[in-house]
Amino acid sequence: MKLAFDRDVEDFRAEFAAFLDANLPAEDDAVERPQSSSDVPEWSRRWQRLLFDTGWLLPGNPPEYGGRNASLPQQLAHLEELSKRRIYHSFNPQGLGIVAASLLTFGTEEQKRRWAVPILRAEITASLGMSEPGAGSDLAGLRTRAVLDGDHFVVNGQKVWTSGAHDADVLLTFVRTDPDVPKHKGISVLLVPTDLPGVVRRPFGSITAPDDLDFNEVFFTDVRVPRANLVGDLNGGWKVAHGSLGHERMMLWLTFAEWMENVVRDAPAREEWYATLLMDLQALRLLGRRQLAGDRDPAELSVLKLLGSEALQSASLHALEAQGAEALLHPAVTGPYNHMTLETFTASWFERYARTFGATIAGGTSEIQRNIIAERILGLPR
Amino acid sequence: MDLEFDDEQRLLQESVRETLGKLRGRPEDELWAAYRKLGWTEAPPVELAIILEELGHAADPTPFLASTTWFAPLAGRLPDGAGTAVLDGAGRFVLDADRAGEIALATAGGAVVVDGARVRAERLATFDPTRHVAHVDVAALGVPDLVPAVPDLALAGLAISTVGSCRRILELVVAHVKQRVQFGVPIGSFQAVKHRAADMHVAIERARALAYFAALAIAEDDPRRGRAAVMAKAAAGECQRLVFQSGFHLFGAMGFTWENELQIHLKRAMAGDLLLGTAAVHRRALLDEEAAL
Repeated sequence: MKLAFDRDVEDFRAEFAAFLDANLPAEDDAVERPQSSSDVPEWSRRWQRLLFDTGWLLPGNPPEYGGRNASLPQQLAHLEELSKRRIYHSFNPQGLGIVAASLLTFGTEEQKRRWAVPILRAEITASLGMSEPGAGSDLAGLRTRAVLDGDHFVVNGQKVWTSGAHDADVLLTFVRTDPDVPKHKGISVLLVPTDLPGVVRRPFGSITAPDDLDFNEVFFTDVRVPRANLVGDLNGGWKVAHGSLGHERMMLWLTFAEWMENVVRDAPAREEWYATLLMDLQALRLLGRRQLAGDRDPAELSVLKLLGSEALQSASLHALEAQGAEALLHPAVTGPYNHMTLETFTASWFERYARTFGATIAGGTSEIQRNIIAERILGLPR
Repeated sequence: MDLEFDDEQRLLQESVRETLGKLRGRPEDELWAAYRKLGWTEAPPVELAIILEELGHAADPTPFLASTTWFAPLAGRLPDGAGTAVLDGAGRFVLDADRAGEIALATAGGAVVVDGARVRAERLATFDPTRHVAHVDVAALGVPDLVPAVPDLALAGLAISTVGSCRRILELVVAHVKQRVQFGVPIGSFQAVKHRAADMHVAIERARALAYFAALAIAEDDPRRGRAAVMAKAAAGECQRLVFQSGFHLFGAMGFTWENELQIHLKRAMAGDLLLGTAAVHRRALLDEEAAL
């Protein structure tokens, strides 16, 4: 055990900090705001391209994919520097963190060139089509069908909660390709360009506002998707699903830590909940760093997910209540404006609290996390 | 930053576990002699925390905790035999004061060590049968200017020892709900039971991480050591609150009996919260520190 970071991590951190100081877009050049999680304004596309070209977009990647082969502790330092300055990593977070990451792991060279690199360079944006009306926590129960017909898959079905789909150029879509085998074994993954005939996207408002359009229903009617758009093996989709979410899960705790840090900064209080928040945040960081050391049981990520999301939600509710009737104001601004982040993080206390339910529901609900901890870590019977 | 044990620390943890397994049920003085012979009392903070976690897990009855984390940091040396310290300025609820060879007193002018034989301290009747707790008649000692002064190590030590108790409680609970059959299945297959057990695990991981961070900050004399120790003690107290409640509850009526090992660890865990300030006290201390920043 030691407190200090290794020299190479500190040097890396300093180099990135210097890069940010020298290259961060000025506020006047970054006026246009993103409208959904696949809507990236032109200035932000330029910024993401600069990060890609300089190897600061995803430092763990090799240089041809926007990185510099950085170690896990260096990747953490990179995200910490962004978080400290309230810089949102990408305005197309799922495209970057899940879709492109999945393609780099499971895709063909052609798919990496044709889709992953343009997503990473923000030339196109991507959303993730996993959930369906009947398949949420039980993702493997998904029913959107894809039937091979010559060189094409013919896709029919419906996705829902597909964040940013109406602004996305392509959807990483999980489909059933074999209905006659156990449900995990008949799933495949297709890249579905959203301009194909038969793809209909219908955005709908969130609890925060009718015009907060990020969620989508996506309908597929006889959509012909080229066979070349199959990601990974036919009927090998469950492996891709695990890999896709794995990319995100490793660092997901850091997102919660960032939101918690925002509550620490925006709602300082001399109440007990604030002490609990400080402790939760510290414990989350310690456990998250430990997880990076390697050789850890992946089930331990559930401890981080559960601790972080529940603590964030609890603290956000306390912060809301601490404002008393003032917390009724909505929309409202509750934190400093920063052109490099999303307004949702400095929105009304009601909105900030409401958004924490994304943390306890998406990416495996708290109940699913508790099941994983009980069964895989404590060994309780299924 | 490296929060994993290194190879030597891992070896130490294994050897402490193995030794305590072998010594299980031996008389107190034999245990105490064995620990000293093994050099455990001389361990630096992180290694000491590793030992204290296992001693907590084993419900150790010796004066190890008070000697190494109350007396030693105050006096600046290990006691001759068993030791403890008056840390509250008043001599109330002093761990092992009835059996300490030496007692350190925190005074305005620094630590003063008195011979245990000179001290009037009678063991109090408490709910925790594995610990010795006594009031010290400080007036009779004639040492002026006693002040409250709790070493960071004393907070971290009680914290990690309490985490050890909580770990043991969860182990017992997991074993129980796996074998206890109702409605034709082990009760551990019910989600309502699983979820309480999972929350116990998360509380333990949280408190354990904060306790080792405190030990590490003390070992490196990092400026964050005081804040880290306060957080560790508060988190250990919060952890025992949840682990006591769910642990006791999940054991059903069997947890209510004297014969069940569970009662020993429940009581140690709760006593660990009550000594040197509960979680609520240390949450307030943390807020005071934040406000002073």
